[in-house]
Amino acid sequence: MTLVNIKGLKVSFRQHGGQIDAVRGVDIQLAEGESLGIVGESGSGKSVSCLALMRLLPNTATITADRLELDGVDVLKAKPRQMAALRGKVAALIFQDPATTFDPVFTIGHQMVETIRTHRDVSKETALAEAEQLLLKVEIKNAKDILNYYPHQLSGGMLQRAMIAMALSCRPKVLIADEPTTALDVTIQAQILQLIKGLQAEMGMALIMITHDLGVVAETVDRVVVMYGGRVMEEGTVDQIFDTPKHSYTQSLLASLRAGESRRAEPGTGEPIAPALELRNLSKVYALRRRGRIFSTYVDFPAVRGVNLVLPRNKIVGLVGESGSGKSTTGMMAMRLLEPTSGQILVDGTDISKLDTGALKAFRRRMQVVFQDSYSALDPMMTLSQIIAEPLNIHGVKSSREQTEEALSWLERVGMDRSFGNRYPHELSGGQRQRVAIARALILGPSVLVADEPTSALDVTVKAQIIGLLKNLQQQMGLSMLFISHDLSVVRSLTDSVVVMYKGRVVEQAPTANIFANPRHPYTRSLLDAIPVTNPRERRQRSFITADDIAAGMPRLSRSSLAAEATAGDLPQLVSVAPGHLVEAIVTN
Amino acid sequence: MIVYLIKRLLSVAVTFFIVSLVIFLMMHAVPGGPFTEKDMPLSEAVKAQLNARLGLDQPLWVQYVNYMAGVLQGNWGVPYQSPGETVISLLQQAWLPSLILGGSGVIIGAALGILIGMAAALKRNSWIDYLASTLSVLGLTIPVFVISMLLILIFAVWLNWLPASGWGKPERWILPIAAYAAIPLATYARYTRSAMLDTLNRPFVTALRAKGLSERRIIFQHVLRNSAIPMVTVFLPMFMGTATGSIFVEAMFRIPGLGSYFVSSITNRDYPLEMALVLMFTIGICFAYLISDLVYAWLNPRIRLGDDAQ
Repeated sequence: MTLVNIKGLKVSFRQHGGQIDAVRGVDIQLAEGESLGIVGESGSGKSVSCLALMRLLPNTATITADRLELDGVDVLKAKPRQMAALRGKVAALIFQDPATTFDPVFTIGHQMVETIRTHRDVSKETALAEAEQLLLKVEIKNAKDILNYYPHQLSGGMLQRAMIAMALSCRPKVLIADEPTTALDVTIQAQILQLIKGLQAEMGMALIMITHDLGVVAETVDRVVVMYGGRVMEEGTVDQIFDTPKHSYTQSLLASLRAGESRRAEPGTGEPIAPALELRNLSKVYALRRRGRIFSTYVDFPAVRGVNLVLPRNKIVGLVGESGSGKSTTGMMAMRLLEPTSGQILVDGTDISKLDTGALKAFRRRMQVVFQDSYSALDPMMTLSQIIAEPLNIHGVKSSREQTEEALSWLERVGMDRSFGNRYPHELSGGQRQRVAIARALILGPSVLVADEPTSALDVTVKAQIIGLLKNLQQQMGLSMLFISHDLSVVRSLTDSVVVMYKGRVVEQAPTANIFANPRHPYTRSLLDAIPVTNPRERRQRSFITADDIAAGMPRLSRSSLAAEATAGDLPQLVSVAPGHLVEAIVTN
Repeated sequence: MIVYLIKRLLSVAVTFFIVSLVIFLMMHAVPGGPFTEKDMPLSEAVKAQLNARLGLDQPLWVQYVNYMAGVLQGNWGVPYQSPGETVISLLQQAWLPSLILGGSGVIIGAALGILIGMAAALKRNSWIDYLASTLSVLGLTIPVFVISMLLILIFAVWLNWLPASGWGKPERWILPIAAYAAIPLATYARYTRSAMLDTLNRPFVTALRAKGLSERRIIFQHVLRNSAIPMVTVFLPMFMGTATGSIFVEAMFRIPGLGSYFVSSITNRDYPLEMALVLMFTIGICFAYLISDLVYAWLNPRIRLGDDAQ
């Protein structure tokens, strides 16, 4: 039986200057128990279509459709009461960012009980017991405690599990997941996807997975609809879409997904003279405030612990790890945008970690940074040419006319039109803003560029363009780049070598090809294992490891198996297992 | 929690002493004194005698210490303008009209303002919304004595429905209460509207709809409670401000409330009364903020439980 029947759906939004057509004629069908992926970038109309089906769009939206049916009910004609009965009961929604989709002032338990009692006539106690069972079902161990927690007390992964549990509480016929893992770390993403997949099979629900990530689709669904610009571009089984994509947009999506697999390691060209950037035993300790009864005490929290890192000239080094691993802190300390607690930072062989502001300024010309959030990284009150020319201005290079001219030529160099020079950041798309940020970073001709997750806020096709731009400029200018990312597929396609950080330490580093072919540290393995597959046939059951597993799985290597000398000891140390391949291990005799 | 309360109470005490010192010094820094007026038909000898009896001839710090010692024992002194009674008994009479009229004005105004603000937020860009915006702009821009005059003109002079001024019978209360209510109504309509719109635009409201909750439950259970968080911080301080009497409203409606004493105690150089009024107001405001903060924490688990994740 058809559970969802959408024919000729059109949605437009009234706005100040007229109207925006978000969905322009979409047909989607979904049978009971079926799993469907809707893929497209932001603005493609994929979320709007599903919200229209639930009648959850704001009043400014005008919805028309030949058919818009959920479980046989015409939702365009349904009364509010009828619609409320369908929501949650027939179709349940999971949203992108679990941190904002719970009401912050009520406990998880309260909100779950509320959902259950909205649709079923059961007592509070029964509902609470049921909520506990549901939390256990989504693999939350201390379910009873979690019921009494407020949303802000839980991590993103935990909250998304609780959200799923809540969505399942009325046994919906279809679960609509709108980018359910975009806001989560890659290891958590894999766990959540596997959980959703398992529950769907177990409960016999239908599933609509809305995502911009083809990898997520390959992991979870049977059939795929590809959307672009408010229309369906292509539809087919997941195998068809991956094997024989018909539409050029699908092909470009697949190409950006698979970009990482084609790159092979180039043969080493001998050791360089002095590295562009070298970090020696760099540490950052934050004093955390613990509130006591009367006095507060401070506890040391080491965010980065003794990191050694070498960025050779004209190379790209990837720095990977989950959020909280200390990778961004390391990057910011390398730029001296954060003061290190101890350790040395060598730029072209000079230690800059102790230089005062004046002496540092000369070095600032050689090292630049591109941030993740291009919106907050650009001054909203300045035009693009002012923004790009500002570094020249700060360092007093050239006359102001020449500065503007150079800024405009850099606009072109990063693939934008000169006419954009007088525009302001808010007039640009995320990708364009990131191009401006790159132009600003490179206009002084630096030798070192730190890119801190420069693409993680971008759509997948735009991401590929920005990566391409960075790669070209890096080759043209002979840049040495430290590329900080949690996106391993990007790291694979871009970098020469990879440094893996975990809990503030470097646990493994090696040439990119080696890391992906032969990861030695358990944490690296778990990171790699969590990457969504690029081919639906490679789907597999994953076994997730916890922090305890990682600690227990610490490699133990005998001295004879090492590539370089090391002394045996009980404490983990970074040892060489192959030329250029270091891993944290315990060395035995 | 108890430690927090003790800390806050200590800070109230510190504020109290700082304010008392500053006011005391300012009061005496103004040239002149209670009996220095030119037209006062008193001989120099009598003035000196009066000053001596009231302790005004002693060094300033002695006066301050004596005064504060009295205050700590509950003795707020005798007002110079009516030596027959104590400051406390004078204020007790004056407090009642201000509290009744000002208090009910704030409560009625805030309640109406919240309702209007809610309606405006829920029916955004409708006539209700425009009416609410107009009302709140008018309420905030027209001075309260102009509003009072308009009320008297319309309801007492033209329509002759209500008495124009005075104190006593309840029908005399209606116009001043309306005048008192204007500012809280305008403020609250505006606050409520923007707080509700903020909350309504947050993703969790869509998530609540997606769960199938009725619109009524979403508004009253979730949106209101979240919107109340920024609103509680305004209410009690405003209540204190109005319930201690408005000079203008009381003057317009000839109400024997606290407001007029604020003015007369200063012009008459009535030191004990001036100090008592300012200090009581200080304590009131301090406690209003303390209670607001407690309610704020009670409503907002993030504050109550600290911000540490996990």
